Amino acid sequence: MILIDHKDRRPIYEQIIERFQQMILCGAMQPNASMPSVRSLAMELSLNPNTIQRAYQELERAGYIYTIKGKGSFVSDTAAAAAHKRQEIQREMQVTVDKALLSGITAEELPEILTACIQNSSVLINRGSMKGELT
Amino acid sequence: MITAANVTKHFGEVTAVNDISVTIRSGEVFGLIGTNGAGKSTFLRMASGVLKPDSGKILMDEQPVYENPSVKADIFYIPDDQYFLPNATPRDMAGFYQDYYASFDSVRFDEMLGNFQLKPDRRIHTFSKGMKKQLSVLLGICANTKYLFCDETFDGLDPVMRQAVKSIFAGELSERDFTPVIASHNLRELEDICDYVGILHQGGILMQKDLEEMKLNIHNVQCVFQNAEEEKTALGLLELVKAEKRGSLNNITVRGSEKEIMEKINTFSPVFAEIVPLTLEEIFISETEVVGYDIKKLIF
Repeated sequence: MILIDHKDRRPIYEQIIERFQQMILCGAMQPNASMPSVRSLAMELSLNPNTIQRAYQELERAGYIYTIKGKGSFVSDTAAAAAHKRQEIQREMQVTVDKALLSGITAEELPEILTACIQNSSVLINRGSMKGELT
Repeated sequence: MITAANVTKHFGEVTAVNDISVTIRSGEVFGLIGTNGAGKSTFLRMASGVLKPDSGKILMDEQPVYENPSVKADIFYIPDDQYFLPNATPRDMAGFYQDYYASFDSVRFDEMLGNFQLKPDRRIHTFSKGMKKQLSVLLGICANTKYLFCDETFDGLDPVMRQAVKSIFAGELSERDFTPVIASHNLRELEDICDYVGILHQGGILMQKDLEEMKLNIHNVQCVFQNAEEEKTALGLLELVKAEKRGSLNNITVRGSEKEIMEKINTFSPVFAEIVPLTLEEIFISETEVVGYDIKKLIF
C-alpha cells in the first residue's frame, strides 16, 4: 500500500505522510476506514515503529486521521483537509505561474500550457487505462 | 537508558576510545557509525561489560555494567567475530544461552530457525558466514534482553535477510521494551531503522543527534549569484561546511534548515539556487572530512 522511495531524499516519515494524504484525499481510503496499525506497517516496511508513529501523529495533527485509544487510528472526514490541500496546490501553482511570466511566457499562452499538462498527466492516463482494463 | 560519561580506553600505546560521552535512550534504535578503527567495537565491548574502561563510567539504567551480572542479564552482545562452542549446533547454543538468559524463548527460537531455514542440528562450523550472522541475530532476539548490541551484524546479511531482520526488530520495538544499538557501515540501511545516530572518528564522538534532525540540518546547495560581491556576502552569512566552485556555480554544504538557508540566499536574488537534503552517507562523509578524513587524501 505504501512504497518507500529510497532515492527520495526527504525523511521517510514525510513520504509516508504524503502517501496517506494522497490516498485519503483521492478517496482510496474512505472516512472512518481504519489505518494499518503502527506495528504492522513498521514490520511490513521494515521501518522503525517510531517513524510510523511520527507520521501518524503528523497526520492526526493535520486532521487527516483520528485516534481512538485502544482501537487504533481511523480516516477523518476530509472536507477541511481537502480545502487546505487545495490552497496549498494553488500556492504551488502560483509560484509556477510567476516563474512562467518571468521567463517571458505571456498570460495568453498560460491556459494552453495548462491544457497540455492536463492531457499529459500520468494520473489521468493511468486512470484511463485502469478503466479500460475493467470494461 | 545507557549513559556513557567521559569513557576512555587504551590498549598499550593506542587510545581506542577517547573521552566519549553518549546517551542511548530506551525504546529507540541507536546507530553507531564511524570510520575504520574509530572505536565502535571497543565502545560496544565496554558497554556490554566485556572490557573495563580505563576512566569514565558506563551506566545502564543507573547501574555500572562491568562485573555486574544482574545488569548484564539485560544485554545481548553480537560481536563481529561471533563465538560458538566447538562443534555446537544451533540447538546447543540455545541451551547454552538459556543458562544465562532467564527469559530465553526456546519455542520461538525453534520456530524462527524453521522460518529462516536453518537446521537446528547442523554443526555451526559448517554454516556460511551469513548463516552464522543470522543465527546470532535469532539467538539475540530470543534471549529477550532489553539491550541488543549488533556489531556489524547487518553487514554480512543478504538484502532479503536484512529486510527480514529489520522487520523483526520493528515488531520487537513495538511490542516490548527493546533498545538495539547497531554499529554498521551500511548507512543506507541505518537510515530506515535508527532514531538516533552517533558518529565516531579516531576514538572520539563527532556528533550524536536525532537522525531526522541531523538530516534536516545540513543541506547541499547549488547556486549562482549575480556578481562576485553578492556571492561573497551571501556565502559569508551561511554556516558553510564545504564550498566548491566550478565556473560561476557554487556547490556548497551548509548547516541549517532548508527555510533558513533559502531565505538568506533569496535575499540576494540569485540567478539560480537549488537545495537538497543530504543522505546519511553524505553527512558522514562531510562530517569526517571536516576533521581531516578526506577521501582525496586517500586516492591521490
